[in-house]
Parts: sequence; structure tokens; C-alpha cells
Amino acid sequence: MARSSTTADVFNAIAEAHRRDILDALIGGEKAVGTIVDDLSMSQPQVSKHLRVLSEVGLVASRADGRRRLYRLEPARLRPFHEWLAKYEQAMHDRLDRVDDYLKDLQRQGETP
Amino acid sequence: MIEFPNELEILITREFEAPIQLVFDVFTQEEHVRNTFAPFGEEMKVCSIDLRVGGDYHFVMVTDDGTEMSFRGTYLEVEPPTRSVQTWLFEGWPDAEAVETMDLHETDGVTTLAWKLAFKDQAGRDHMTKYDGLEANFDNVERYLRSLLVA
Repeated sequence: MARSSTTADVFNAIAEAHRRDILDALIGGEKAVGTIVDDLSMSQPQVSKHLRVLSEVGLVASRADGRRRLYRLEPARLRPFHEWLAKYEQAMHDRLDRVDDYLKDLQRQGETP
Repeated sequence: MIEFPNELEILITREFEAPIQLVFDVFTQEEHVRNTFAPFGEEMKVCSIDLRVGGDYHFVMVTDDGTEMSFRGTYLEVEPPTRSVQTWLFEGWPDAEAVETMDLHETDGVTTLAWKLAFKDQAGRDHMTKYDGLEANFDNVERYLRSLLVA
């Protein structure tokens, strides 16, 4: 069977740990595939394969530099993920506030014997 | 799948859901190669193929910063729709000379490609393994075949 194309979806793209490592490696600025290979101790075909998936969803972009290609992060494309996560931030904060209240209560009880 | 069976060779195996004659044509006819050769959508400045034993091919693509990448060679074996063997020279790296072999076979409508690049020396092969357009070219072919078969 021919391989079906990878889901063109940011969530799918970042579900793979190596692809997150590659994004991390690009935070500092654009890099050639060979540099990423050296940084992450992955094979060149492996890195190229992941870069293609990341390019397809727009999380990385590339430009020619002579015979090399330089890859860079396109962090704006993480927006769908960020928006999804933001919904849970409030819930997390509420829960942490409750933990905080509880700890304060405990502390107060400790102070007043 | 990409493999490095020894220090001189690169071997790529791919399956395409397409009849063997069409896959052969996509790799050997100018009109198709023009649409699939450039791994990152570079402009194809030259695309000429003289598909017969002793015939030459020449491809030149121009990257978005204006660098020209020229590939040329001569056909050594032409056996449609299953096989072609040709010399392969990328003019950017003087030492990177190779022999390219394409073998195809079809089973139940799926055509399997075994593509091999055998370099004269290891320096040539190592140049090529640092270049990340190698498999993108076959991804293009896969996508292109799908578009032809849907149309």
C-alpha cells in the first residue's frame, strides 16, 4: 500500500516527540538540516522526513541558501494549539486557587491551636 | 524507505498506487519530470530527455535564491516499463558521479520502485546524504500520480 499522506494538522504534527525536538532546535533561529542532524543525533533521512511533515502544516518554512536549505520556525501556526490549551488554563487556575485556599486553611488551623 | 547498504550507495524503495507504465513515464518523460523533479518547487529551467541507450538527459533547477542546480547523464539501459540505468552527475559537486538504477514492478495495481544511486566514491555519496531533497522528489511523484489518477 502506498503511504497515505500525513494528516495536515498541527496537533498531529506535534504529537511526535522527535518533531517537537526539531521545533525546539529551531527556536534559536534558522538551521540547515545537517545542523539539526548534529544537534539531535538523528539520521538525516529521519530529520528530513519530519521537516516535511512540519512544513506541510506550516510550522516550519524554508528558504534556499546556495545548495542548502535553511529551515525556520513559524510559531504563529501554533495558534490553534494555543487556543485549544487556553480553554484549560482557566480551569487549571481555578483548581490551583482552590488548592491554594485549602493550604491557607491548613496553615491557619496550624496557627490557632 | 531509504537505506545505505554500503558507503557508496543510496537505496530508496517506494510503492505507488499506479500502473507500472504510468510510473515509468512519470520518471522518464519530460512533461512529467518537469512537474516532479524539483524537490521544493524550484523553477525547472532545463528539462530535456533523450530516452534511448546512449541518449542524454539534462535537468536544471533554480532555487529561490537564484542558485542553479544542474543534473545530467547518459542512458545505459532503457527497458520500459521496468528498468532504466543511467549515469548521474550533479554539476555542483565535481566528485559526485554516480550510476542511477530504477527498477519497477507491479503487483495488484501497486508499483514498487527500487531506486539506487551508486557513487564512484564515498565523498560523492556523503555530499548527497547531506542534501535533504532526496526523498522529497519521490513524495512529489506520489502526489503527482495521485493527481493524475483522480483527474
